[in-house]
Amino acid sequence: MTTSEFEAQVRRQEQIVIIDMQGVINSDAESGLSAAYEQAEAASSQTIVLNFSQVDYINSTGIALIVGLLARARKSHKILAVFGLSDHYREIFNITRLADFMQIYQDEASLLAA
Amino acid sequence: MTTPEPIPPPQGAWAKPVDRLKAAGIPASVNINVDGKQLAGPLRGFGQMWQKTYRLRLDNARVAPQQVVAAWRENFGSFWPKINRFYGSSSGIQPGEVALLDLAGPYGIRAPGDHGLVSTGVLVIYADEVSFSFMTPQGHMFGGMITFSAHEEDGAVIAQIQALIRANDPLYEIGARIGMVHKMEDEHWHTVLKNLGQHFGVASAVTQVNVLVDPRLRWSEVGNVRHNAAVHTGIYLALTPLRWAASLMRPKERT
Repeated sequence: MTTSEFEAQVRRQEQIVIIDMQGVINSDAESGLSAAYEQAEAASSQTIVLNFSQVDYINSTGIALIVGLLARARKSHKILAVFGLSDHYREIFNITRLADFMQIYQDEASLLAA
Repeated sequence: MTTPEPIPPPQGAWAKPVDRLKAAGIPASVNINVDGKQLAGPLRGFGQMWQKTYRLRLDNARVAPQQVVAAWRENFGSFWPKINRFYGSSSGIQPGEVALLDLAGPYGIRAPGDHGLVSTGVLVIYADEVSFSFMTPQGHMFGGMITFSAHEEDGAVIAQIQALIRANDPLYEIGARIGMVHKMEDEHWHTVLKNLGQHFGVASAVTQVNVLVDPRLRWSEVGNVRHNAAVHTGIYLALTPLRWAASLMRPKERT
């Protein structure tokens, strides 16, 4: 497996806003992820969802960025959820305790059905 | 312009999830606040969440970020200020390893017998060629994640420490609000970066940027105070004479 640069697109799906992420989430992803989150926040939805299904890799700086987003969501009384986590990413979410604080869905279909 | 070649992600850089920490085989004087503790991290703390970034520019050092991080991992404890001690395992800074910390109090105060006033630890949650990260357990001053890294920027290598932290309980938060805990933290990491710089023959100034990520307190975590490592260490040290007396009264084993 190889990795590519981070990209993020924001789209609205029913009552929620989804940030589709691609590539590597590391320190280089900070500005792109932050811009995407601001765009999602401006879409006046109560729930913002991070789509990890196209993420190649996340390092500890990337996890810190996600923690930061979670804090921002909490500050503005929004719900931050995720879907598309591989088993490896689930392990990372467990060890960093992110799993205790975020709603995790298997995929987009289960998110929309919830 | 050509597209940069995709690079393979590092393998085995993340630690495996652990339910409770176990500091096995580390020759530290006190291990009373690590074994059996869970990881706290920045999400399970009580106080305001801060992101603190400390940076040192290694001008003219002629080293690659990989060399900086390799030296940092190899000599991690020796870069610490003399008043604080880092006890890592024999395998060094590796994902999944637990390290014990023996920390002085304000103004570098240590207890008789050269004991630190706070005994706690960290888990290495991530390590690759250009970065490594620790996460703190229950009882540590900060629920946090701290990442040590090196990268190139404007023709020089930057060594960086980035902490995402919140005071773990109300007592530590009071210490943070009056500036004492943050001052100790800042002085500690400034010294570490200066010592790292000296290792490479560089004497640049350390810069620091603080960002208040979440100003609110997490009252649901107020009970974290029962794990407070400073309180537990204080009790442990205060009872040292009793433990010594008890050991004298214990019948000696016959050989």
